[in-house]
Amino acid sequence: MQKLIKDGSIVENQYSLIQDGDSYTDSNGIIPVDKWLEKPVPTAGVWLNSDQNPNLLKDVDLSQFAVIGVNFPAFVDGRGFTYARLLRERYNFKGELRALGHFIPDQLGYLLRVGFNSFDFASEVNLDSALKLHKTFNIKYQGDVSDPRPIFLKR
Amino acid sequence: MYQYDAIDHQLVAERVAQFRDQTERFLNKELSEQEFLPLRLQNGLYVQRYAPMLRVAIPYGMLSSKQLRTLSDISRRYDRGYGHFSTRQNLQFNWPKLEEVPDILAELAAVEMHAIQTSGNCIRNTTTDQYSGVIADEIVDPRPYCELIRQWSTFHPEYAFLPRKFKIAVNANENSDRAATQVHDIGLHIKKNAAGEIGFKVIVGGGLGRTPMVGVTICEFIPRADLLTYLEAIVRVYNQHGRRDNKYKARIKILVKALGIDEFRLRVEDEWKHIKNNESTVPAAEFERLQSFFTEPSYEALTDNPGALTDKLAESTGFSRWFERNTFPHKKPGYRIVTLTLKKAGQAPGDATADQMDKAADLADKYSFSELRVSHEQNLVLADVRQDQLIELWNDCKEAGFATPTLGLLTDMICCPGGDFCALANAKSIPIAEQIQAEFENLDYLYDIGDLDLNISGCMNACGHHHVGNIGILGVDKKGEEFYQISIGGASGHDASIGKILGPSFAQEEISRVIHKLIDVYIGQRTPEEHFIDTYRRIGITPFKEAVYAKVN
Repeated sequence: MQKLIKDGSIVENQYSLIQDGDSYTDSNGIIPVDKWLEKPVPTAGVWLNSDQNPNLLKDVDLSQFAVIGVNFPAFVDGRGFTYARLLRERYNFKGELRALGHFIPDQLGYLLRVGFNSFDFASEVNLDSALKLHKTFNIKYQGDVSDPRPIFLKR
Repeated sequence: MYQYDAIDHQLVAERVAQFRDQTERFLNKELSEQEFLPLRLQNGLYVQRYAPMLRVAIPYGMLSSKQLRTLSDISRRYDRGYGHFSTRQNLQFNWPKLEEVPDILAELAAVEMHAIQTSGNCIRNTTTDQYSGVIADEIVDPRPYCELIRQWSTFHPEYAFLPRKFKIAVNANENSDRAATQVHDIGLHIKKNAAGEIGFKVIVGGGLGRTPMVGVTICEFIPRADLLTYLEAIVRVYNQHGRRDNKYKARIKILVKALGIDEFRLRVEDEWKHIKNNESTVPAAEFERLQSFFTEPSYEALTDNPGALTDKLAESTGFSRWFERNTFPHKKPGYRIVTLTLKKAGQAPGDATADQMDKAADLADKYSFSELRVSHEQNLVLADVRQDQLIELWNDCKEAGFATPTLGLLTDMICCPGGDFCALANAKSIPIAEQIQAEFENLDYLYDIGDLDLNISGCMNACGHHHVGNIGILGVDKKGEEFYQISIGGASGHDASIGKILGPSFAQEEISRVIHKLIDVYIGQRTPEEHFIDTYRRIGITPFKEAVYAKVN
């Protein structure tokens, strides 16, 4: 299986991403959220598409998931940035938050700040090169998932 | 003006280094055109008709003479010796080389300037009244609030990839709105409530382009401490629900219109209740800190209307005309706000040569505490000029081509760069501006016509804000030929309205004749008190239409 960047290292992917139409009873799978909601089987996690707001999971105990994926159908579709923050800050998800699909290494700084910690890049992305961009700026004017204090509480 | 501390310097330096790396990777083909596009746009770099265009932010219009000299120096060494001041308090270089842009950004950073988020689908440079802090009738100085918004929006991790560009403008004056706040994605009006507390009326969903709309009020009063969390809530709703399938329908105005303001407000309030009072609530101490950057310069104790001014006003018609049109009352006795117009006939509106930039910087040093402002109408402003030095300044301005005494008149038009420079344009706009400037060069006639906003755009993207011109001109393409559609009745102030299209479009050579006809109708119908827009609002479009399209017998 293709490797990914997780917590700042290149690691083996532990989970299988289950696409629509695939079997979704894999206990090691990341299942489409709508399929899981129809039939909540034990599984490693669920993934959201860009038109599937985390509000869908508001009544679900997220601690049962080791991983939640957020898919970027195109890297300029920025809904996933908001979804990540909501999952972390509003729904208090503590597990692995994985970016999926067509995001690019140059977005890593922003993705890290909204709470993603794992990055399953498209197959053509060189992970060693991407790892060089796995960092945020040292200065952050706004609060974010890792530190909710804006700059005016830190100056 | 705002001064960077070590934190701000480091942030901008990190951005310069990041962009240098991105540019190198693009040139080495490690980044595709498609991937580089939003990255360069977020740093103000377009690929235009002939060369890249770099848009430099002038946050809320404030510029030191040192910064302006740096801009002129960059224009000489990296460009063709001029720059273009846009309608949103930016300066555009039209001919930089892509590989040199990181060096330009590094030079800008050295004088506390940048090109961050001047383009792209993110929150753009926040704009405000160019007379902030000095105009007599403002509620409070809006610049500290603009700086707060600037910092909040800069590299906001959640909003770098919005459905579309996002523009915020701030106004703090009940008598005028020089920032066109009602045609922005968010317009903020600073208010004081009955208890004297500062807050904001929030207007949302205004904008021009293909579907021009005047914004609607979402909230009458948000206390200033809650400003950032409320903005977060609005932009978060937009990021989740704004359309992404069609770029022309992706602006927040389309979402607000589709949902209706009541439903949109409910969604914002639902979002806000989760984040209101969180750490982004702004403490009073931060407002004080920001305000401390915008303290008064060392004004002298002077009185209004000194002899050195009144004598000259009586002697010289030229000077008194310039005084009447191009200067404004200042909150301090003995001072005056002066606009340096960049609307000299033969020069594209908003363009300034490197020599003119240096000259304006010199004038700022000599007459106005080394600071300038950039206006939405594409002019420069010296905000703090002693009244007894106005005559001397006027003479200096004449030499530099800044003294065209037509501020607010027909020939002080807003005009986009058009087809001469812009890859998007359907038609040229600068020759139209030139044609009108040549046709209406008689000052007595211009003064008789009085206040009139004329706006010219070379395409539907409406960079020249033609929809909100009292008279708007839009370049259109018809089977490969350039034509111009005229609208009338637009306005961008507190009485904002979108102009109505007169009828079929005209060939380039007809434009000044058409404008003449419109003016003739106005002059024939006006009451002594009425400006063009008032007469239009009273008599409607029909008389104008009839005059313009009447068959010649």
